[in-house]
Amino acid sequence: MPGMWWAVGAIVLVGLVSTYLVWTAGRVERLHARAQLAARALDAHLLRRAAAAAVLAERRYGVELYAAARIALDAHPDEREAAENDLTRQLRAVQLDPVDPDCEAVVAASRRLALARQVHTDLVRDARAARGRTLVRLLRMGRGREWPRYFDIDDPTLTVQADVPTG
Amino acid sequence: MRIGIVCPYSFDVPGGVQNHVMDLAEALIALGHEVSVLAPADEDSPLPSYVVPAGRAVPLPYNGSVARIAFGPVSTARVRRWITRGDFDVLHVHEPLTLSLSLLAVLSARGPVVATFHTAMTRSRALAAAQGVLQIVLERITARIAVSALARKVQVEHMDGGAVEIPNGVAVAKFAHAEPLPGWPGECGPGTGGTLGFLGRFTEPRKGFPVLRDAFLDLAPSRPGLRLLVAGPGDPDDLFDQFPAQLRDRVTFLGLVSEEDKARMLRSVHLYVAPNTGGESFGMILTEALAAGTTVVASDLDAFRRVLDGGRAGRLFPTGDPVALRDALVELLDDAAARATLTECGDQVVANYDWPVVARRVLEVYAAAIEATDGRVIDEEWVGPG
Repeated sequence: MPGMWWAVGAIVLVGLVSTYLVWTAGRVERLHARAQLAARALDAHLLRRAAAAAVLAERRYGVELYAAARIALDAHPDEREAAENDLTRQLRAVQLDPVDPDCEAVVAASRRLALARQVHTDLVRDARAARGRTLVRLLRMGRGREWPRYFDIDDPTLTVQADVPTG
Repeated sequence: MRIGIVCPYSFDVPGGVQNHVMDLAEALIALGHEVSVLAPADEDSPLPSYVVPAGRAVPLPYNGSVARIAFGPVSTARVRRWITRGDFDVLHVHEPLTLSLSLLAVLSARGPVVATFHTAMTRSRALAAAQGVLQIVLERITARIAVSALARKVQVEHMDGGAVEIPNGVAVAKFAHAEPLPGWPGECGPGTGGTLGFLGRFTEPRKGFPVLRDAFLDLAPSRPGLRLLVAGPGDPDDLFDQFPAQLRDRVTFLGLVSEEDKARMLRSVHLYVAPNTGGESFGMILTEALAAGTTVVASDLDAFRRVLDGGRAGRLFPTGDPVALRDALVELLDDAAARATLTECGDQVVANYDWPVVARRVLEVYAAAIEATDGRVIDEEWVGPG
């Protein structure tokens, strides 16, 4: 009976397509969740660096660095990237002393921030790539979530003299 | 912290990735972490206590050489079991884009996954067929490490992602305290004596052995006592045929050497020469020579210039130029003080490549991966003093 084979074929096809769709939806969801968690970690590292810079500024380097750190801590989301870049510039402008524990804390916080930024950028890119695929857009998967946003700042890594050469 | 490391290649065969994995595992254990390494190996082969064998590896021609890998349903089951039992805080896979345990582990794992890319290959041929498949693998990886600027460049340009560059480590103590071979390196004074070293496949053009040979042939007749010590895989006849009969007794060939003998060999020469003409992605051997306290003379390649700190930690000569190499050799062999200045700076440079230092940087990447997985920031103390 050819009719039955058609039916079986159709059922198998529907099964395969729906499995794929469920899997894709799960994937989009997972990548979004991951990007969000990475953003939270990045946020924490930004706060940590600004706090370390404020502590250092109070003790050693004075008003300008302190102001930059405060502005970074209080920045509105729209202005935050610029404020963080400004803090990076201020930190590069001062002569950091590698043996001072407060300086060391800022250098370490900057290094960890650089890693968090790197990971965040990669995960946001993955999530956006998945979200941008035609099928995902057509079926409006992940519509309950905002598009993950890049956090576009300069590399915050600080170099102290006699730094680790990479290569 | 509990760390699971996956090595794609069998420990039965020596190789750069295998050495890297073992040294990293030992450095992490020394820093107080629990490490389990999954690698292809027979159940009964002698392995360090932290290695879990994942079954026999099959030889497979890959990327110009033979890789011994494990892949298939049995390996998959073993990888899954190891991951479940291990209860790791972080999973660290090496070369995840080769058909290997690493790929299986990435596909089976949830949670923080760190991947290290060693070679500068663009991508595995098996995976090149499907960009979509590649993307599924890369999506499982939380943080990527590249061991060289070149490997990182491949990441950025071909795989659409960044990677943290952390160089290969070197076990400085092992090299610094190795015993020179008996009778080496011998005398070296103005106009006389001196020992040159070369390690690697002398038949491979990009290793640049002919450049060193030409410089040696040029210099040896006028410099009594000048000797050349060569180690690496290859047929001795192919090596000695390159030298006239009267100079052959001044060339010594060690053949393929163990890690331990490599350290002794590097301690047995006055100058280590790296005449490579290209293709070297990192220059591991240079950091090893520096760790051994040996003066390095190397081609002016990007990677070498970076390791040698622009020429402060070793002498650079124009790539592929035997005359310039000869002049550099004469100058350094005649001047013990100049050699000492270079090695002193070399000691400072190589301290940055010492495994404990490198392992701490890797731990920071682990922390970043874990943080990005649950959004919780890990304390500084946990990573240890940087």
